[in-house]
Amino acid sequence: MLNALRVLILTLLFAGCTKDIDYQTLTITYSADIRGFDPAFATDLRTGKVVSLLYDNLVRFDLDMNLVPGAAKRWSVSADGRKYTFIIRNNIRFHNGDLLTVDDIIVSFERILNPQTISPQTWLLDRISGAKDYLQGDTDHVKGLTAINDSTVVIKLDVPFSPFIQYLAMPATAIINKNEMKHLSKIPAGSGPWKLDEWERDGEILFTRNDDYWEGSPKIEHLRIRILSEIMTQSAEFEAGTLDIYEVPHGELEYWRNKNYNKKEVNELNIWYVGMNCSRPPFNNVYLRKAMNYAIDREKIIHILLNGSATLATGSLPPQLLAEQPKVYYDYNPRRAIELLKKAGHENGLKTELVVAGGSEMFHVLEALQSDWAAVGINVEIKRSDWNVFKTAVREGKPDLYYLDWYADYPDGENFLYPLFHSKESMTKRNRFSDPDVDAIIEKIQQLPNNTKRQSLIVEANNMIADKAPWVFLWHTKTTYLTQNWIGGFSPSPIFNAQRYIYVTKEIS
Amino acid sequence: MIRYFINRLLQAIPVLFGVIIITFILMYVIPGDPVLSMVGERYSEETIQRLREEMHLNDPVPIQFIRYVGNILQGDFGKSFITGEPVIVAIMEKFPNTMMLAIVAMFFAVLIGVTLGMISSISPGSILDRGIMILALAGISAPVFWVGLILVLVVGVMLQWLPPTGFGGVEYIILPALTLGLRSAAYLARLTRSTMLEVLSQDYIRTARSKGLPEWKVFLKHAFPNTLIPVITVIGTDFGSYLSGAVLTESIFGWPGIGRLALEAILKRDFPVIQGTVLFMAVMFVIMNVIVDLLYGVIDPRIRMERSDKQ
Repeated sequence: MLNALRVLILTLLFAGCTKDIDYQTLTITYSADIRGFDPAFATDLRTGKVVSLLYDNLVRFDLDMNLVPGAAKRWSVSADGRKYTFIIRNNIRFHNGDLLTVDDIIVSFERILNPQTISPQTWLLDRISGAKDYLQGDTDHVKGLTAINDSTVVIKLDVPFSPFIQYLAMPATAIINKNEMKHLSKIPAGSGPWKLDEWERDGEILFTRNDDYWEGSPKIEHLRIRILSEIMTQSAEFEAGTLDIYEVPHGELEYWRNKNYNKKEVNELNIWYVGMNCSRPPFNNVYLRKAMNYAIDREKIIHILLNGSATLATGSLPPQLLAEQPKVYYDYNPRRAIELLKKAGHENGLKTELVVAGGSEMFHVLEALQSDWAAVGINVEIKRSDWNVFKTAVREGKPDLYYLDWYADYPDGENFLYPLFHSKESMTKRNRFSDPDVDAIIEKIQQLPNNTKRQSLIVEANNMIADKAPWVFLWHTKTTYLTQNWIGGFSPSPIFNAQRYIYVTKEIS
Repeated sequence: MIRYFINRLLQAIPVLFGVIIITFILMYVIPGDPVLSMVGERYSEETIQRLREEMHLNDPVPIQFIRYVGNILQGDFGKSFITGEPVIVAIMEKFPNTMMLAIVAMFFAVLIGVTLGMISSISPGSILDRGIMILALAGISAPVFWVGLILVLVVGVMLQWLPPTGFGGVEYIILPALTLGLRSAAYLARLTRSTMLEVLSQDYIRTARSKGLPEWKVFLKHAFPNTLIPVITVIGTDFGSYLSGAVLTESIFGWPGIGRLALEAILKRDFPVIQGTVLFMAVMFVIMNVIVDLLYGVIDPRIRMERSDKQ
């Protein structure tokens, strides 16, 4: 009966067989669409990833987080840390055949800073000498950005700033063909390993490999990114064999545990935390903040609720970014938490509110935290709101407590320390933490070249911040990817835009 | 008839103006900041200020409203804050997909609903009739997202007859269309059954039977045309909402239509797109209602008469 029905349906509707596997196309999925192909507006992860498939940067990160040559075959930094010299490859062609030149680089960078572009990503380049004037519209050229000859670009900064080289691997600093800048939101103009075929909004993005890619072209001919907003839909597609790579949500790990797929895990460069508003009572009291940390049994939560796919946070930095591994700063110690609460003047307990963005996948985790806090007398009410409302509230410093994560853009402790804990950032858009010692050490880290001194300062800053407890430090998560058995050569990366699917293969297994 | 048509269209103008005002007010009442959807996690205050200026968000609200209405009257619905694309282009890109899904869904709904309703009315009270009516009740009660997911899992994953989700050839539209059309189908089945039962007890049916017409002829020729009224009614109430996008169905099946466009815009506080899609949906509703009214007149001479009396 079922078979008859099937034949009927299929013949009636001329539907093809769905089981054919297309070995020439690698299919992956994103949960929402991209903004477009303009690097100047690549502010979200997905757009950033797609920009990295289509464009080249001067430098980039490989899958193991190393900074490697891109369009620049080598570079050097002057002893004072202010002058960067890049030697450009002369054999890179844009997808339309134009040669990538030093002019393209300068035009691309100036475009980001051009006030007419209104790019939200100017922060990546505004440390270049003269960039601020250019951004104001006072000059028609960025003074610190020059081409010495056909293959050399020199970038000068006003003050030494060691993370700068990593900024040049970010999507917004991608190199654009200067002759094709008109319709970048829809028509990319890059030289990357993939060329755009078609973009069906909210449907899919199709690419064909760039056969002339200077670093070797991708192994698979086509790449297809499907936009599937529902987790259920994504997993159904993967199970049906129509998706090749699938990022498993934490809540679904158990379901996939014993299924016959290849599994790859990656320790993300991230931290999950509860931010506490340090500028006003009650959380301007460091004893209370420490009590919040001591009161929770994170190990149990990781083990039971996160299926073990996270590691305990020692402070704010993930272990990969620390030269030496510090001890866990806050163990589970409810008795100590109660003592600290008394010291903070809350011996009768307190009531407070925690806000969280609505779509948060780990909502049940918060309920576990809530009950641990309640056990020592801290009654936390959880409030959910949508992402935009949440972000607005946090920026305005409204919530006492908020649950959030941070993912690194580049593998450097500075990428956590400055944006999260420097008073200039924290006071205007995060949890209002301000500490002159912390500011000073972060500024030092930003100036020093990457050496052992800088490494040990990063460790020191991490400990210092842990001790001041501006957050409830939670954990660093792992991401699990499943691949179909016909997929080879895939290894996930903790850097969001390092994955370019060049070495991935798809063959009959 | 034409005068009636024009009158109906004129009546729609205050409705649409009301929609414009309400969406505009709602936009400024709900919390959230569109600029924060445009910047990443790292941004400078100057960037925020520049973006606000560019999007005229610093202007007083009444001025923004006047500008907005003025632009609409010139056919300019603004540009998306997020993609920079004109709103009208985004809507027109999605509309054919939504239209296609709506038509196929309605086709399934009418086909399944009317057929089952007719079968049911042949022998009221029989097991078949009860079975169908239970099915119809289930169809009306089942949440759309649940039906969608079950179809994806059973037909797409377990049986692998059709691709679970996606967009492309004929095979992709079947599951979302069934999901979307299911509730209308169930409703139609009940409505068709009750209409048929009512009609079958009328005098002229008895006359037809007593003329010695075969039962199938009585059914199809004399009774069946009456079901067109419920069909049109359902199309009128449901088709307009299909055309303004089926958010859940589109999300589950990865269907790039108006519903998802609107949902994404709401989540990102993309004001121009929210305003554009809501207005578009309202226009669709109004147009559908006018068309349905006209169709009533075409199908049922009594309605036509009443109207021409009034005018």
